Amino acid sequence: MSLSRIAVAIVTAASMAVSACNSTTPAEAPGVTPAGNAPADSTAEPSEPGRQLSALAPENIAKARPPAPFDLTGNWFIDVTGNPNAWKFGPPYPKLTAAAQVHFDASQVALKEGKVYRDDIGQCWPAGLPLIMTRYWPMAMIQIPTSIYMVSGFMNSLRIVYLDGRPHTDLDVIVRTFNGESIGRWDGDTLVVDTIGFRADHHWMDQGGASIPAGEQLHIVERIRLINDKKQLEIEYTMTDPEYWEGEWKSTKRFNRVNDEDIQEVSCLPDLNEHLQSTTSKTQVR
Amino acid sequence: MTKALLGCVLAVMLASLVPVAAHHSPAAFDRTKEVTLVGTVKEFRWQNPHTWIEVNVPDGKGKVVLWGVELTSPTYLVRAGWKSNIIKPGDKVTVIVNPVRTGEPAGIFRKLILADGRELTERPARLGTPDSK
Repeated sequence: MSLSRIAVAIVTAASMAVSACNSTTPAEAPGVTPAGNAPADSTAEPSEPGRQLSALAPENIAKARPPAPFDLTGNWFIDVTGNPNAWKFGPPYPKLTAAAQVHFDASQVALKEGKVYRDDIGQCWPAGLPLIMTRYWPMAMIQIPTSIYMVSGFMNSLRIVYLDGRPHTDLDVIVRTFNGESIGRWDGDTLVVDTIGFRADHHWMDQGGASIPAGEQLHIVERIRLINDKKQLEIEYTMTDPEYWEGEWKSTKRFNRVNDEDIQEVSCLPDLNEHLQSTTSKTQVR
Repeated sequence: MTKALLGCVLAVMLASLVPVAAHHSPAAFDRTKEVTLVGTVKEFRWQNPHTWIEVNVPDGKGKVVLWGVELTSPTYLVRAGWKSNIIKPGDKVTVIVNPVRTGEPAGIFRKLILADGRELTERPARLGTPDSK
């Protein structure tokens, strides 16, 4: 789906949510029909019983829920004040398994030789979680009662955090992705987001010099708060992946609001690297 | 002389700290070296995620070498005074780059000097501050 179509869908759903919230009851909201009283529409596919309602379904958005403690809607950029490398999730790194150490060591050797080991992001593969959150591009976030839609200014990578109480998809059914499947729940003034279902190939925990793979067992828990009078976003990451490291890998990131720039359409097109000679040069170690 | 040398060292150190809004790792570039390219623009592509300039550079031995120069995104270039038509194919330019370490004709952008003497640089790829309003 193109970015513009996603934006239209989100804006439409958000406007319906606002309409619903302004009503005395969800049933009175314009455009919102109570469950079991769907309008006749011969062209619409009937909802199948037992299926999870879409996060953008008006009926789901209109459900009664406690008010969200905060609204992340905005553009956010990793805070690199005083540390240009704040986008990295290490060092320190956890104790690596042998399966990860071989890649880490290879990346260190390449770095000493002025080369780059398996820079898959540079070859137009998605950055994936967690790196997608800290690219040097704003992350646009739009929060509605059922979900937070995140679209990165970097390759317009899409991440959806579901807030509507759904469980994780069965791992036998889930379509593995670079950003995984994120389920959020409120814990006081903190949003706790649990993410699994990652794709393991061409997916790394760092870029250029500390190549640690991200595997199918990668599990990321984010504790998200707004701090400093809601001007900053703070995310505490706890990441485990027994295939590639021991115990918990922890890192805390802060993000600043970007109020004078919107994200744009950004694609890694086939002609990009043809003209960025460094990405195809002898500096690239595969 | 000592001051000048110290200035160069500091400039190199600072350059190595300047973050780049790149989709690829910047480790391939030698931030301690600068190459000055004097040539003719073949292509200037104004696009995300990277802008690029291709410059035909005479090597002084009768051959012309095509250099590829990688720049940041228009988001940051606009904030440094760039426009999409600031250069075009055929323009005579001087471009200063940090080259890739392998000696191939490719580099990451440092400075553009136009035929009329105007100089353009990038600005750090950074948006927002801890107290953004």
